[in-house]
Amino acid sequence: MTDMRLADEASGDESARVASWRLLLGNPVTTTSAVVLVGIVVVALTARRIAPYGTNKIDVADALQPPTGAHWFGTDELGRDIFSRVLLAAHASLQIALASVAFAFVVGVTIGVISGYRGGLLDAVLMRVVDVMFAFPVLLLALAIVAILAPGSATTILAIGIVYTPIFARVARASTLSVRVEPFVAVSRTLGTGHLYMLGRHILPNIAGPVIVQTSVSLAFAILSEAALSFLGLGIQPPEPSWGRMLFDAQGFVQRAWWMGVFPGAAIFATVLAFNLLGDGLRDVLDPKQRTMIEARRQR
Amino acid sequence: MRRPKVLVGIGLVIAITLTACSTGERVDLGNESSQNLIAAIAGEPDQLDPHKTSAYFSFEVLENVYDTLVEPDENLEMRPALAESWEVSGDQLTWTFHVRQGVTFHDGSPFSADDVVYSYKRIIDQKLSNADRFRAVTDVTAPDKSTVKITVAQPTPNLLSNIGGFKGTAIVQRKNVESGEIATHPIGTGPFAFRSAKSGDSITLAANKNYWGGPPLISGVTFRFIPEASTALSALQAGEIDWTDSIPTQRVEELKTDDSINLGVTPSNDYWYLALNEARKPWNDVRVRQAIAYGVDRHAIVQATGYGTATVNQLAIPKGGPWYTEYHGYTLDIAKAKSLLHEAGVKDLTIDMMATSQYPETVTAAQIIADNLAALGITVKIRSMDFAAWLDEENAGNFDMLMMGWLGNIDPDDFYYAQQHTGGKSNAQKYSNPDVDGPLDAARAETNRDARAGLYARAATIVADEASYIYLYNPSVIQAWSKSLAGYQARPDRAIRFRTAALN
Repeated sequence: MTDMRLADEASGDESARVASWRLLLGNPVTTTSAVVLVGIVVVALTARRIAPYGTNKIDVADALQPPTGAHWFGTDELGRDIFSRVLLAAHASLQIALASVAFAFVVGVTIGVISGYRGGLLDAVLMRVVDVMFAFPVLLLALAIVAILAPGSATTILAIGIVYTPIFARVARASTLSVRVEPFVAVSRTLGTGHLYMLGRHILPNIAGPVIVQTSVSLAFAILSEAALSFLGLGIQPPEPSWGRMLFDAQGFVQRAWWMGVFPGAAIFATVLAFNLLGDGLRDVLDPKQRTMIEARRQR
Repeated sequence: MRRPKVLVGIGLVIAITLTACSTGERVDLGNESSQNLIAAIAGEPDQLDPHKTSAYFSFEVLENVYDTLVEPDENLEMRPALAESWEVSGDQLTWTFHVRQGVTFHDGSPFSADDVVYSYKRIIDQKLSNADRFRAVTDVTAPDKSTVKITVAQPTPNLLSNIGGFKGTAIVQRKNVESGEIATHPIGTGPFAFRSAKSGDSITLAANKNYWGGPPLISGVTFRFIPEASTALSALQAGEIDWTDSIPTQRVEELKTDDSINLGVTPSNDYWYLALNEARKPWNDVRVRQAIAYGVDRHAIVQATGYGTATVNQLAIPKGGPWYTEYHGYTLDIAKAKSLLHEAGVKDLTIDMMATSQYPETVTAAQIIADNLAALGITVKIRSMDFAAWLDEENAGNFDMLMMGWLGNIDPDDFYYAQQHTGGKSNAQKYSNPDVDGPLDAARAETNRDARAGLYARAATIVADEASYIYLYNPSVIQAWSKSLAGYQARPDRAIRFRTAALN
């Protein structure tokens, strides 16, 4: 009887997963954002090779040129090619976003799962710490961290990572709490399953949905945060290109050189929007309630 | 001998406080409100005690509240202010000042020679930020209500600029100091009296009807704090404010053709420089410093930071000034720079260069310098930080190279002594050369103007040859004001004087 139920659970899971992919790809918005993201990642990875000019090649005599065949996105106040800089900034931005979200993911999910699974005093203590971190406005906390450490890429990764850790902890804990009381967990426990096996086999796979959605959305916010920190001069340090820093530099030249701000701005816009829409699409298929609605719509 | 041989300097003006901008309206001063001038400054004064603050934002306000014994005119020659006249004894060791009679402080109490003695003794005894200006002074006394005697240890040709170059040596009121109100509610003898302050927003001054120079033509001045240059400019163009000095150099060309405002672009006595930390290897090797001086493209830096408003200069004192020295020791010469580095036996250098967002020109120039020096095989790592942190790092000697500027200098002593003399107060690069110290010390006591100029030319040339400072350029003072504001001029020392301003 017990074995039967477990087997059912497993096979149901299997078929649902296949359907998830199909549902995901069936949504044109999600597919488009996924394609855009793949494009951005490919550009970021090959930026050094495909950029037509050096990132920091300064030529003051050629400053503030509007977009032309030679400089697709024009040149900035130091005569640097904006197209090349936007491409290379993609690499830096994505790297920081991925690294910081990976940090937040690992630390946050670990805290959340342990907290939710163990409960009791440990849960109370961990969640109060998380509450304290939540009480700070995100950017303010990141600013404080950067102010303590010296500005730079590593600090930016750490700052954004720390700032987004509580969100992952919360999501992971909430899901763990609901999974923990599922009958199959209780059964597995009565069969003498060890904690580690339990976490790995039963808890983690079943909280994956919300955590994956959170990852996608957090990537969008991490890119925004990095841009904001760099804009304030606390993220990627000049002369290394960063979309946020490029926007900051463009400020003083809005009247003279619109292209200095428009292209890095568009890059931030496209990347953040793509991550957000992908997150929405993922949530639609990974959240059971939403999913039923989509399936119903499709059947009509 | 009325003609001042020498003048004074402010030193680096520190602007620490940044405040949020506000979209205020004209301050209501009753039926006089139409005659109230609104000036936008880029930040809030840290405090209003002229002897203690070193922030330029404070002095923009205090210039209008306080007086000094003597003050620089538009050509930076020292003229009578609270002192009507003065004499120097034959041995050059006693200066006698005859102070103006009938002058009152803003609270109505009379001003006398005792206030001058009190003010100077306060600076000297408490070792306040401008105590250095009184280094040669041995005593200050008031034999009667209208006479001040200053005795000096050695002839001091630049005494007048030391005591009157800027409002850091202003004459303050004892009562105001002792009550502790001077930091927030200063009382002076100047053309405008402090009226009120709104933290983070503005400071309002009201005209002093009893001003010894004649009552101002406007009823008051409101200094609004607008950190964002484009916001201040838009406010000026929209007629919300009458005056601003936050003007990015790249907008000057465009503003010149804007008929709705007046633009003042005046060559200044400020200078920007690079300094290498000689307490660290290999920057203690003169050849390495010279290599950097040969490797830096000054014209590109001037173009990208000044947009035609700045002038390349390889020494500190700008062309056209009475103390200018011709010097063209360096050209952009990569081959020469490489051979100097080779001679010095250094390679694969990495430079930790400090820049600060407070002065965007340092970040812009740093990027050009990084690109320039890459050609020499030198990697420049730029550290851009806020100015408070920047100053801490400078004082701690925690840098390889920095770019900074000095402003408000008048006398050549201001340009060179503190920066280049062994152990000088502003000698952060730890330069030390007896051949420079000698003429700098001698020039402080040299009363013959030509001989004095020769001493400074000698010292400055060595400083540049040895690249203690790698001088870059002299910027301009750039200010804009509305068409309705008359009787105002942008000054080369950046003093903001509204005493003769009128609003039509």
